[in-house]
Amino acid sequence: MKNETFSYDDAIVKKFALATLVWGGVAFLVGLIAALQLADWRLNFGVSWFTFGRLRPLHTNAAVFAFAGNAIFAGIYYSTQRLLKARMFSDALSKFHFWGWQAIIAAAAITLPMGFSQSKEYAELEWPIDLAITVVWVVFGVNFFMTLLRRRERHMYVALWFYIATILTVGVLHVINSIEIPVGWFQSYPVYAGVQDALVQWWYGHNAVAFFLTTPFLGLMYYFIPKASGRPIYSYRLSIVHFWSLVFIYIWAGPHHLLYTALPDWAQTLGVVFSVMLLAPSWGGMINGLLTLRGAWDRVRTEPILKFFAAAVTFYGMATFEGPLLSIKSVSAIGHYTDWIIAHVHGGALGWNGFLTFGMLYYLVPKLWKTELYSKSLANTHFWIGTVGILLYIISMWASGVTQGLMLQAIDEHGRLVYPDFVETVLRIVPLFWIRAVGGSLFLTGFLVMCYNLWKTVESAPADSKEDVYSAPALAPVPETALGGTWHRRLEALAPTFSVLTLIAILVGSVLEILPTLLMHTYVDSNDKTVPYTALELAGRDIYVKEGCYVCHSQMIRQLPGDVLRYGAASTPEESMYDRPFQWGSKRTGPDLARVGGKYPNMWHFRHMIDPRLVTPNSIMPSYPWLTEKKIDFDGLQRKLDVMRSLGVPYGDADVLYAASNARAAAAQIAADLGTETGVKDLETREIIALIAYLQRLGVSPKAAPATQVGSN
Amino acid sequence: MKATDDTGVQSAPGDEQRLLDHTYDGIRELDYPLPRWWLMIFYASIVFSIGYCVYYFAGIGPDGATELAAKMKIIEAKRPPEPAATADGDDQVLVAAIRDSGRAAAGKSVYQSKCAACHGQSGEGGIGPNLTDDHWLHGQGRPQDVLEVVRKGVPAKGMPAWAELLKPNEQIEVTAYIRSIHGTRPPGAKAAQGELREFQEL
Repeated sequence: MKNETFSYDDAIVKKFALATLVWGGVAFLVGLIAALQLADWRLNFGVSWFTFGRLRPLHTNAAVFAFAGNAIFAGIYYSTQRLLKARMFSDALSKFHFWGWQAIIAAAAITLPMGFSQSKEYAELEWPIDLAITVVWVVFGVNFFMTLLRRRERHMYVALWFYIATILTVGVLHVINSIEIPVGWFQSYPVYAGVQDALVQWWYGHNAVAFFLTTPFLGLMYYFIPKASGRPIYSYRLSIVHFWSLVFIYIWAGPHHLLYTALPDWAQTLGVVFSVMLLAPSWGGMINGLLTLRGAWDRVRTEPILKFFAAAVTFYGMATFEGPLLSIKSVSAIGHYTDWIIAHVHGGALGWNGFLTFGMLYYLVPKLWKTELYSKSLANTHFWIGTVGILLYIISMWASGVTQGLMLQAIDEHGRLVYPDFVETVLRIVPLFWIRAVGGSLFLTGFLVMCYNLWKTVESAPADSKEDVYSAPALAPVPETALGGTWHRRLEALAPTFSVLTLIAILVGSVLEILPTLLMHTYVDSNDKTVPYTALELAGRDIYVKEGCYVCHSQMIRQLPGDVLRYGAASTPEESMYDRPFQWGSKRTGPDLARVGGKYPNMWHFRHMIDPRLVTPNSIMPSYPWLTEKKIDFDGLQRKLDVMRSLGVPYGDADVLYAASNARAAAAQIAADLGTETGVKDLETREIIALIAYLQRLGVSPKAAPATQVGSN
Repeated sequence: MKATDDTGVQSAPGDEQRLLDHTYDGIRELDYPLPRWWLMIFYASIVFSIGYCVYYFAGIGPDGATELAAKMKIIEAKRPPEPAATADGDDQVLVAAIRDSGRAAAGKSVYQSKCAACHGQSGEGGIGPNLTDDHWLHGQGRPQDVLEVVRKGVPAKGMPAWAELLKPNEQIEVTAYIRSIHGTRPPGAKAAQGELREFQEL
């Protein structure tokens, strides 16, 4: 076969590497701000777009999709071309992928602080951006798979298996979780409601961690660790076993985010067992990573790149031990809704994703710019500052989570809550919030040291950087039967078959968990027990979502004595059957709100929103003064109710047609009540009225009341 | 010393027999067997999972609601016995509670979770009136007047009725607690409202 000459598109890798640095800085800085806002509420400054509820989604999206995302793309574009001995299929598609992705991130950075959010975690972005993500992802997929088909290497290396799993699964996850009906340019309602929305969302959310933060990084690990250490991969057999078991098992484990909730028991049971079975497949990757460094440990001591890799894989091992542990129901009872989860994800995000990315960048930047790293000792300094930062972060959050989790569930010998006052448990952990902020600052400092180091490295690069030219024979078509080796070895030469099998592996669990939930209504008793939200309540609900209240408040009383004694009877699936999106939450920095309706007078809520400390001394909740100024969008309500009705919410014609006037009438009533009690007049068009109407409705289902009636208590 | 082969791969002792003929961009692969301890963990997790599923899917284990009910039953059993009749006018129970500092202390936790939001952490008042001073908006200044307000609320002023939300003994205990903080003069006390009356013993 004749030799063909080709070169690699490293310009695109440089672009993605640079974007990783820029967005990494944003993600870490916003994370630090959010951490400080939790330590001292005054740092919210009473500014709507700067408040924790809006910044937290910005932080998570920037960390996952901007920082980790660009890092993945840099690594995939660099390694795929070399592993396949082929240039990317199309430079134009690569460029479209790059600029499209940066535009999506920029759109997220603008819309999330403005409050345009679906409130589904790591899927907050509104429908126009969702569409853009789909387009860019498909372009990335086409570019990747076409390159795969034009490869000059017969067999696909294990890193590529993980890239295939990533591209296919993220596409499936994103599309299925983002099926939503627009009600405006930047607002939509999901087609799923309540328990169904919860299951689909956490199937997505858990597998965003699996297939955006785990499988692509395992692929990068399989490429960059042997390249940087010069060591062969420890066990090919282990690669095969842990790859297939990982992709098959991971997809089932989502319900572990919903233990003890109103999710049907069978789904919770599946979530527990598949999470427990996930330990070994995850550790398979850790073993292969660490044992590949066997024989190179002397160099780990001096070589910062290998230090970052060894630490990253170790943090991966820790986080993937902690995950199954937290999925055991009795551990989840303590850990869920607390900072333990925050510790868990940051062990993964800072330690595994962060450090693997840093090691990769220290390796890539000198290679791409054909020079030497400016300073090894600065890189070593970065390693130690970063490691201390991560340890301070996760240890403080472990302590915080376990402390608050135990306090909230503590019941004394008389069968009463030991700490009935929620804020008391918060005050106990505020000092730990400060330690977390110190840890985060150290991590950010280390990152800035790296940016300086890489900047100086690029500065020293020779001006001329022409693309190297390589040559290799094209792949001759070989009949399947002529491929030697084991069945799996043959499969590695059959890219389309391999990809289809991977897709099947991730679809089995998805279909078996999601379909029954969507089709079976036996656990949702639709006998008119639950009355849909009134127009004003729905307007208030949208404000609740917009302000990111769900970031700190759950609406899910779990089947646990501590929850029931504190908040009332355990939540049922019926209670959230009209909730689009569901608002069960994932963290309780403040108390659960599932049954807050009628608990306090309207005046209490009014004062609480203006300044929470007026009614709860020492509360760490931000103030929301703008709610008394911004106006309710009465005119948009008709369309909102119409969309809800099309999704199956039983509104009558009059409810939809007179949505705005009904809402105005209900608002006038609450405003009149507030006027009498507080002396504040002219509130009837303000957002705070709608929010109060919604909050007063939570857990209170006005029996047999027509949906148009005011639900003020 | 480590040997370096022509692809730049360093080998460790024992690797030679395990090295496969795979080469990808200079990356080689060994083929060590799956670590036994790792396989044991994997098998054990699968066996556990099968057992766990059989236990719950076959109906041997309780479902979530049943499990919660069982736990709540144990907690209810720990509750101190309910005072006999607590109908209006059953003053003996209230007197006994007020004299029992333990019951007033038990009322403190109820107070903090239900009342403090409006009446202040120390009863100094806020949205609702000061509960520690000598001024009364409702009743004649007797403990049963406090109990009455706890039970029926003052809906017109936004105070909820707690008769259905608190258990009878909790209503008694929180009344006893409110009696116990009378005259404590907490900082930040709200200005007096209502008529001046002496807090009567009964």
